[in-house]
Amino acid sequence: MPSVANPDPKQTDGKQVTINRREGVETRNVLCATCDISCNVVAEVQKGRVVRVRSSDNPIFRDNICMKGALAPKAFAHPDRLMKPLKRVGERGSGQWEEVSWDAAIADIGARLQSIIKEHGPEAWAVSTSQWNTATDHGLGRRLMNHVGSPNWISGVALCAGNTAAINRMTYGWFPMADIVNTNCIVLFGHNPRRNSWVPIYSQIRRAQARGAKLIVLDPRRSSNAELADIWLPLRAGTDAAMCLGWLNVIINEELYDKKFVANWTVGFEELKERVTEFPLERVAKITGCDPEQIRAAARMYATTGPAVIPWTPITDMQRNSTSAIRLHSILRALCGNLDIPGGEALQGFHPDIIPESSIEMHEVLPPEQKAKQLGSDTHPAFTYRGQEKITACTKRVWGYEYANQVTGCFMANPSALFRAMAGEGPYPVKAFFALGNNTLLSYANMPLILKAMLNQDLVVVHEQFMTPTAQLADYVLPADSWLERPWLHDTFGWSSMVRPSEQSMDTPGACKSTFDVWKLLAGALDRPEVVPWSSIEEFYDYRLEGTGMNWQKFSKTYDVCFGPVEFRKYEKTGFATPSGKVELKSSVLEDLGFDPLPYFRDDPPADPDLPLMMFTGVREDEFFQTAQRHVPELRERKPEPLIFVSPKTANDYGIDEGDWVTISNHTGEIVMKAGIRNAMPDDLVRIPHGWWKPEMPQGLPGLSGALAHADAQLCPDDDEYLDREQGIPHLKGIPCRLRRCEPPVEAMR
Amino acid sequence: MKRYLGELRAKLLADLASRTSRRDGIIHPLCRRLLARALRLPPDNDFMRDEWIDNDVGFDPEELERYQRGEQ
Repeated sequence: MPSVANPDPKQTDGKQVTINRREGVETRNVLCATCDISCNVVAEVQKGRVVRVRSSDNPIFRDNICMKGALAPKAFAHPDRLMKPLKRVGERGSGQWEEVSWDAAIADIGARLQSIIKEHGPEAWAVSTSQWNTATDHGLGRRLMNHVGSPNWISGVALCAGNTAAINRMTYGWFPMADIVNTNCIVLFGHNPRRNSWVPIYSQIRRAQARGAKLIVLDPRRSSNAELADIWLPLRAGTDAAMCLGWLNVIINEELYDKKFVANWTVGFEELKERVTEFPLERVAKITGCDPEQIRAAARMYATTGPAVIPWTPITDMQRNSTSAIRLHSILRALCGNLDIPGGEALQGFHPDIIPESSIEMHEVLPPEQKAKQLGSDTHPAFTYRGQEKITACTKRVWGYEYANQVTGCFMANPSALFRAMAGEGPYPVKAFFALGNNTLLSYANMPLILKAMLNQDLVVVHEQFMTPTAQLADYVLPADSWLERPWLHDTFGWSSMVRPSEQSMDTPGACKSTFDVWKLLAGALDRPEVVPWSSIEEFYDYRLEGTGMNWQKFSKTYDVCFGPVEFRKYEKTGFATPSGKVELKSSVLEDLGFDPLPYFRDDPPADPDLPLMMFTGVREDEFFQTAQRHVPELRERKPEPLIFVSPKTANDYGIDEGDWVTISNHTGEIVMKAGIRNAMPDDLVRIPHGWWKPEMPQGLPGLSGALAHADAQLCPDDDEYLDREQGIPHLKGIPCRLRRCEPPVEAMR
Repeated sequence: MKRYLGELRAKLLADLASRTSRRDGIIHPLCRRLLARALRLPPDNDFMRDEWIDNDVGFDPEELERYQRGEQ
């Protein structure tokens, strides 16, 4: 650690002890892309290196930094960072590589992809990305795929925010952002923002509570937010939709809803009213395991202490009833008059002066017959072209864009359907798979299927910073830049009208390149250079910023944040972006697609006596975001092994002590983790951390750096009983499993 | 009336945030000071304090160089 040469006396008042000044240090204003929150932070640069990442000087963002972001300079300086393109020379997954030049890699990739497209059609090319890692994608991947003719793009947002965006649009045409700053009541469905995870949300919630806002937490665990809540409903995992139907039963029967808004701006109220009569509190209490009077109290609090918010939650995204539950959040917001008001749920369009990524994507060039081939659109169409094209005319009318894409989640293929096709079990073959900043193998349900799918490919290309388990299965691994080494224009993935610049802080190391570069090079290799015509990312940003009257250089020096105009109740002028122009409590889009147009609750399949416990996964830990950061010594020291949590009773039932190793298994797979015994856990529920692998373990098959032994995706089924009907996303909150004490794995004995 | 006052308050707050988020002009330092004061948390209830974050001073460039070369 360095010595502090020149502490700034103004900043050592106990509040900002972290802001010090060092000799020869320059600063850059950057957006941390360690997770998808994108905190505004400051990078301190010395001798051409980022040596520190600290909290922003802007009071809006002060203290918005976590340990993962602060350790980024070391994380990206790791000796195992990928620095040169690698070409597979042995069997797939053998871990044998040779270094090649970018020119050679891209030429071969382009030729092989063209050959696959010629033999099987453009739909045989699939891409999976995670947009915070591949921050400079900006829709260029979709753009190239649309020009080439492939609809088969997937992302982790299929079960995290992107799907929520797509489903919200079926109710009121857009995906709102919760205005926690001005709200009187916050409802957290399983979400648990903390000091080192989801930092700005944590800060906003605590500040709102400090000025008197109410907090309702629905979580099977007594989470840190549950401990601070006014009401905590310890609902059974995966029963969010039933709980919301119970709330609606109270709110409608007690006439706590906004009658004027319902009369003027909704359709389907009477049908909804009839549906919620099927969910009296006694039934809801039985399904959710909560006290009916507590459920009633929570519903009353939400409906009467407004403006209130139900911020987006990744928990509701990942359930058997996800579509209904997401729609029920939307319906609660609408019925209680919380749409597009201060302290409610802000419906913002794209920034009016900046070209949105939706326009970059150019979905209009993909022919209808290719859109119709999008995998999963026949059985689970909600976020595919087939589902979302039913509102494109509406979004054009209200928000100005036909193919308005929010959180990149509105025109996706279905991941499970794609992996089946890749494995040779689909309607047509998919033989080329590209993963950019996405550890695909660990990031979706049914990992055994994904492994089979990847092993059945003719061409796998991975653009990554480290040799992930997914990269270990590639034909080519291309070295990726990081957020410290590139400029970035962040538009909140179209979720709000807020746009933020991030300055490049240091040179890109080795032969690492940005995602922008990858798409540009690939467009050239596919003989379509005109698709990505900009010579550099700065020139691309100049193009997108032209409406602001600034170029990238000026924009990035001028703004921490460029806000769009603030307006409320815009629907009074434009209507909502739905086919009826109103909030569709009864969804005409879902009805057209052949689904129940009203929200419902589908219970678990019959219990399996061989699998007596339930587990939930998808959990983020303070030290790690998704499958990343396991290579950072300081973070692994805090959490060296994957750790499940069970209650003392469950531990006792299975003869498990704190720190024992256990196997967790079900019909999908088996993994090993360490056990932690926590009073905050309910009985018979197992909490599984997400995304574990061990970069220090041997690469390649059969272990893939521990992924096959430790990754939660090994346990996540994706058969029909465990998929949401409308979207086809997996149920990760309440999966049957069994638990058994076992010997420590070999690597843990060392 | 309550509705319009609420909207006015929210718009004023958004305007202040917008001005604070520019780095040019002569008003933004004033806005930053104003907002910093408004957002300051009482020391006895400063939920953003974190021992690890507060004590982090970053790295030396040479330390990172050595680390990158696998020397530590």
